[in-house]
Amino acid sequence: MIWEKHGVIFDPATISDRPSWMHGYAQAPNSIVFDDFVRVYFCCRPLPDARKQFVSYCAYVDLDRKDLRRIVGLAQEPILPLGALGTFDEFGTYPVSFARDGNDIIAIYGGWSRCESVPFNISLGYARSTDGGVTFEKLGPGPVLSHSPNEPFVVTSPKIRKFDGKWILAYTAGRKWFYDEKGVPEIIYKLRMAVSDDGIVWSRLDKDLIPDRIGEDEAQACPDILFANEKYHMFFCYRHGLDFRKNPARSYRVGYASSLDLVNWKRDDAQVELDVTPGSWDAEMIAYPNVLELDGRTYMFYGGNGNGKSGFGLAELRGGLPL
Amino acid sequence: MRWQKLGKIFDPTEHNLADGYSIFAKSPQALVFDNFVRIYFCAQKKTENGKYLSCPHYADFDKNLCHLRGLSSSPAISLGGLGHFDEHGIFPMNVLRLGDRILAFTTGWSRRISVSIEMGIGFAESFDGGATFSKYGQGGPIMPPTVKEPSLVGDAFVRFTDSTFHMWYIFGDKWLRASDDLEPDRFYRIAYAHSRNGLDWERDGHYIIEPKSQNECQALPTVFSVGGLHHMYFCYRDAFDFRKNRDKSYRLGYAYSHDGLRWIRDDGAAGIDVTLGAWDSDMACYPHVFECDGDHYLLYNGNEFGKYGFGAAKLLDL
Repeated sequence: MIWEKHGVIFDPATISDRPSWMHGYAQAPNSIVFDDFVRVYFCCRPLPDARKQFVSYCAYVDLDRKDLRRIVGLAQEPILPLGALGTFDEFGTYPVSFARDGNDIIAIYGGWSRCESVPFNISLGYARSTDGGVTFEKLGPGPVLSHSPNEPFVVTSPKIRKFDGKWILAYTAGRKWFYDEKGVPEIIYKLRMAVSDDGIVWSRLDKDLIPDRIGEDEAQACPDILFANEKYHMFFCYRHGLDFRKNPARSYRVGYASSLDLVNWKRDDAQVELDVTPGSWDAEMIAYPNVLELDGRTYMFYGGNGNGKSGFGLAELRGGLPL
Repeated sequence: MRWQKLGKIFDPTEHNLADGYSIFAKSPQALVFDNFVRIYFCAQKKTENGKYLSCPHYADFDKNLCHLRGLSSSPAISLGGLGHFDEHGIFPMNVLRLGDRILAFTTGWSRRISVSIEMGIGFAESFDGGATFSKYGQGGPIMPPTVKEPSLVGDAFVRFTDSTFHMWYIFGDKWLRASDDLEPDRFYRIAYAHSRNGLDWERDGHYIIEPKSQNECQALPTVFSVGGLHHMYFCYRDAFDFRKNRDKSYRLGYAYSHDGLRWIRDDGAAGIDVTLGAWDSDMACYPHVFECDGDHYLLYNGNEFGKYGFGAAKLLDL
């Protein structure tokens, strides 16, 4: 699969009169196709607080369906409020995944809380939009998928899809926290899956979806699945456990796996020909992919340097998805 | 109910507990053996940042609870690793004998930034007769927050009857502030869940015990059945100023039920209260009722949340 880059599509920092809650970042793009445009949701941040802590909001940008490089609309408010004091999503809604459900759009989102010994914990919440994806109402104050005996912390990076009448949630779950050489906690997470009839009550597969390729400290995230050519294709991103923030060679790249049944996956990262471009907005990493088939073409939205700090961009697949 | 107080039966300051846990003996909970009663309790130790860790230990008593036989040589379970839900404490721990198995339902504590803590319920099992417990799976919680139970899920008390696990526990649906310049205060009340396997629980986000005031907090339910009724003891307090103010601190509450689901609160029938001038003069909390050789005993903590140990009472009549 050779991916041709179309460059950065949206970076809030390029908008001079942007609202303060959208000061910077466009992380974890996820798209919903409308008749005339493609709505790409992303997660953005206001300036950090006095303790250099960020919160994260979800918003969207609308792209011309006939030319995805052309912006035709932008969210005026965050699509979701932050949670109340002490709740799981008090400090952020990131990443957020979307799916159509009849006339509504549902969202599964990572809610962020701040912890003392590690910087954060994350569980997944559920929200629904009845106004075409402009605003979403949370199902309740708590998460629909939180931690479990074998997923003890940081359940995040959701991708909600419906296949054969079943809701499928692919996500990542924390495997271990450990200290880097400066004593800063870092986390390893692995791809996981759950299924549901209603999108609210989830049954976990309770197993890792794919094997590690670059060692047991490989971190895996953002498992985006689509069905084509009679099989399931999963695009995800992976990185090394340490020294991934400043060393481009150890940062996020896009991996690939395929499956006939959603349960058993064959990992084959070599299929993806899409790498960083030195000197560019995506010189460090290719992060948090979202792949969609649209009008006979296949596209990928993804985050670049700083995991979306420089905005999200677009690549297009030459030819189709693998047979 | 009529209870005969047996007084304080264990004071942690009179013993050397294992692993540097030097203060408190909170939430005593019993496991009855043929010839003795093992009472698990949670002791604390101070860490470098001035905060406390809590961890279960046990003390073995003769079956009349008068004579202390021995103490655990190590904590009964280890705290969770970095980032785990029980990294900063396990309190309380409910132990359940099920055939030849010994199960534990733990409440794990982890520290937060905007609020002091979060809690969740974990599962562990002992393979050495109740001396030590191993956590299930990778040690994550079996009962984390849910969409209707957003925080502070803890204080599990589990019974197994009619091929079903029954759990009474607490969760919080809000954090409270007495005023803007004070730290947020935790809030929780009692709920009920059930399970076929002890691991996967059905729960519905409803509180089951009528509160006596708007911000009443309820904790540590314990349930037993005698005389054709189900009986629940628990403790309750005001949401604010409950640590130092005797009038707002923990007291024992009581409710009864015909079906184990709908409960009628009747604190006046509890038959036990604080005793002026005694070790439990200002507070009574963390009750646990168990049966031993046909008698029912109530374990509980007194003043200062069990800083100076726990006591017992014996049920005289209903």
